[in-house]
Amino acid sequence: MSAAHAPVKSVAELKASEPEYQTAVRKIVRSHAVNELYGAQVYDEPAIALAPNPYLKWLTCRIAMEEYGHHVRFRQLGEQIGIPEEEMTPKGRRPLSIFEFPLRTWEEFCVVKLLADLAEIIQVEDLADCTFLPLRNLAKVTMPEEIFHSQFGKDTCTELIKTADGRSKVQAAIDRYYPMMPAFFGKKDSENNALYRRCGIKQRTNEAMRQDFIGRVKALVEGHLKLKLPAVAEAA
Amino acid sequence: MTGGAAAAGILPAFLAAMDRIAWFSSCAAPLSAAETETASSYVAALGLGSLPVAGVADWRAAQALAQRPDWSRAWWDAESGAEKDLHRRGAQRFGEDDFLAALSRVTEAAASIHDAAEAALARAGLRDEGLAKAAAGAASQACHQAALALLAGAGQSHAFALKFRLFSGGRWPLGIVQERCFVF
Repeated sequence: MSAAHAPVKSVAELKASEPEYQTAVRKIVRSHAVNELYGAQVYDEPAIALAPNPYLKWLTCRIAMEEYGHHVRFRQLGEQIGIPEEEMTPKGRRPLSIFEFPLRTWEEFCVVKLLADLAEIIQVEDLADCTFLPLRNLAKVTMPEEIFHSQFGKDTCTELIKTADGRSKVQAAIDRYYPMMPAFFGKKDSENNALYRRCGIKQRTNEAMRQDFIGRVKALVEGHLKLKLPAVAEAA
Repeated sequence: MTGGAAAAGILPAFLAAMDRIAWFSSCAAPLSAAETETASSYVAALGLGSLPVAGVADWRAAQALAQRPDWSRAWWDAESGAEKDLHRRGAQRFGEDDFLAALSRVTEAAASIHDAAEAALARAGLRDEGLAKAAAGAASQACHQAALALLAGAGQSHAFALKFRLFSGGRWPLGIVQERCFVF
């Protein structure tokens, strides 16, 4: 479907493109700008206080800065394409439902990095072939940091489950956060997703990305960590 | 003058100073008498009394020290308390939104410290993404804290101004472990 739309190489070219394409780009840039900032505020910044030693506190500081930096990059692109600034903060737009479940423990933060950052990677991977090239480039720039954040979640969870107490806490965090993850990918027959694919901004359906995520999480949680995934409704 | 303009007016010299710092360039070198004195003053300014100051031999020793379970919670809590106090004073002075906007500029400027941390590790023959990020996170936190002190009008003898001075000299203060302040 993406082959139907020619690449749009710049913000100037975007302004000359058809209104539907401009709407699609604005929607997705706005969504990333809001959710990157919300994630930093709801998870990464509070996790600094929860981290068990200075090294992990400082590492978490840096992760929070990188997530904030992703917001800044998406916001700057948003400003260039005419999105009002107030629409690119959580005050102006409703964020994802996962952000309504704030952190209580360090183990929860590690699980959020394990699960939510993998979900983010899958979303960003889909932008790697985006027809709007400034957005494609942005996805490529942010990807290495997203991969590190997800690996951080895997490494810290792997360390935590070495004790019975840690294992129990990581499982409890997975039980709390995993059920809301499938909805992260949007509705099965989403009009926004259809628009994105029509414009070649996204390549895959929400359902395809959701199934990809579920498969990769199963490998991580059940295969690598030897923990259990709670049963959840897969379709949003 | 608006709160935003006033806050923004204070920052350029600080941002320029951040830009000139050779981050982590003195790590592992023996501490000078002046650096030891600054570290002692930093601990005292946090209200933690007089503690001995020690250097750290290399990056791996610094990494291990920062992960020891017997680190001082009183040290971290003293810094957190000072941050809250300075935040309240700064927000009163400039207004919450303008104050936060000024701090955001510092955070954005601190993003490049990571490259300096990677370079310092490379000079030591190491490649460790996590350690580079932790070092950059510590330095970025120090920039944020020093900016809090600056915007709140706290002066050069404030603990965060002294901590920033250590970072400015290419050091990484690692905090307090077993009643001893370690500076890498």
